Amino acid sequence: MSTTQTFEYSRAMPPVDHDDPVQGETMMVNMGPQHPATHGVLRLVVRLDGETMEYIDPDVGFLHRGKEKTCESLGWHKFFPHTDRLDYVQPLLNNIAYAMACEKLAGITVPERGQVVRVLLMEVSRIAAHLIYIGTTSIDLGAVSNFFYSFEQRELIYSILDAYTGHRMNNTYVRIGGVYADVDENVERMLEKFLDEFPEKLQVLERLLTGNRIWYGRNRGVGLVSKENAMAWSLTGPNLRGSGVDWDLRKRQPYCGYETYDFDIPVGTVGDCYDRYLVRMEEMRQSCRIAKQALERLKQTRGAEVLAEDRKYVLPPKALVHRSMEELIFQFKVVTDLCLPVGEAYQAVESSKGELGFYVRSDGTSNPLRCHIRAPGLMNVQAIPLLGNGRLLSDLVAIIGSLDFVMGEVDR
Amino acid sequence: MVIVRRKELSLLEKLYLPEIARGLSITFRKLFEKKITRQYPEEPLPKDEVTRGQPRLVVKDDGNIACVSCGMCEIACPAYAITIDGGETDRAIEREPVHFEIDMLRCILCGFCEEACPKDAIFMSDELELADYSRGALIYDLAKLKRPKSALQKRIDYVYRLNNRWRKSPSTR
Repeated sequence: MSTTQTFEYSRAMPPVDHDDPVQGETMMVNMGPQHPATHGVLRLVVRLDGETMEYIDPDVGFLHRGKEKTCESLGWHKFFPHTDRLDYVQPLLNNIAYAMACEKLAGITVPERGQVVRVLLMEVSRIAAHLIYIGTTSIDLGAVSNFFYSFEQRELIYSILDAYTGHRMNNTYVRIGGVYADVDENVERMLEKFLDEFPEKLQVLERLLTGNRIWYGRNRGVGLVSKENAMAWSLTGPNLRGSGVDWDLRKRQPYCGYETYDFDIPVGTVGDCYDRYLVRMEEMRQSCRIAKQALERLKQTRGAEVLAEDRKYVLPPKALVHRSMEELIFQFKVVTDLCLPVGEAYQAVESSKGELGFYVRSDGTSNPLRCHIRAPGLMNVQAIPLLGNGRLLSDLVAIIGSLDFVMGEVDR
Repeated sequence: MVIVRRKELSLLEKLYLPEIARGLSITFRKLFEKKITRQYPEEPLPKDEVTRGQPRLVVKDDGNIACVSCGMCEIACPAYAITIDGGETDRAIEREPVHFEIDMLRCILCGFCEEACPKDAIFMSDELELADYSRGALIYDLAKLKRPKSALQKRIDYVYRLNNRWRKSPSTR
């Protein structure tokens, strides 16, 4: 290791004697897997010395459903509903990430309007996901009213998605080659109304938290991550940016035409829980900005296609299927035997938690040879010992909240 | 790149009591705002043609089922909820389902069956409530799935409108 590397790995784990949880002055305590503050089924084995945590051992896997393997047996198209259930607070963003990996592999170009709709959906999902972060973290730290206010806003987003997709959650509305349906004028109006009112509502949330002495005391200086550590522990997303690293895939590796939108990347300075909170708050505002621009573009391209015209991968329109034998054959081919060309592809998008990547590998058959999901949440969970070792037990709640992971994605 | 501003607490914020008053003023104002919650069983959920509820089978106006048991929905279903047992019929269409079962406990309402169907035989209805006393009762058979076309007409029109893509393609001319 060269001297310039200043990051630390978590201290070596002392052997755990499960028959004797009390060793000397320390005591082993289980937090979870059903603890309300762990945001899902995360088990944390904490060795406590009084109220100080000597070390934390995150134990993941309680929600493991074998999604990657399921993808191999289900096939390319039928995996979409499963991506919804990875990070279930932002289903459309997961859909889009997976669809983009498949498109990269097959070399499909998504039409202009399809890309704009995707950007719009991604940003709205990001706002919804960050609102959940604000709500759950603040209720963990004792600010109950904030939980209701943020979930109220999230509810509005879900009603919009309901009007667009027919479902509130687990939307499954993205397809290989674009999105299933166009955003109609009713949804456009609802979105416009929401995006106009949202910054004001966000300010109410912010006024309750940013200058709040309790919030300040419980977040400030807690869970510090240095720039070097954040990079070494492969943190991504707001957790990395909170530590002052200007890294956002929307700017660094643009996809879906993000380079043509005007927005800023919020970056923190210190890297504590408070910085990560500020970064997420600002990110919601920036998402709002992008969504407004996307909405403006939608109005200009009304009537354009949202799904690529590619009979090898996309279902033909229903009216044509009834009229023409060829289209019926394509319909049967796409449903029963959708094959992607031989090769491999990796596509990462900036999800609300960080870099969400899908690696897909095809041997030319209708089932993927391998599908790997690079879930940002797993890296966030891994960093808990780095942030929490040596701190007080009550800080652990703030740290878990600020790292913002969803166990559906971590365990997948 | 924009660096987020870390504000130090002002004197008023440090004193905390004025802040409590300010916080309470926000919560009290909320009292008079429009409530977003719904008394669910009494106030039913809003439903329209966009709602993707449980899949239902279309019975055509002549009283025959539209399904020809081709098995496309069975293949398209990511939850393996559909089981079809096809048989022959005297009608010109020659095939119809003898048994058609959807396990509603498995169904995830994704709408892939609706998309895959080449005969306009299965559509997502706006029926959402799903509760019964036994698991067996939630495996829906033909009798429970059949709906007259008129009941699903709004959804059918909506799906056709959604599917009106590739208008510039040569085959549509």
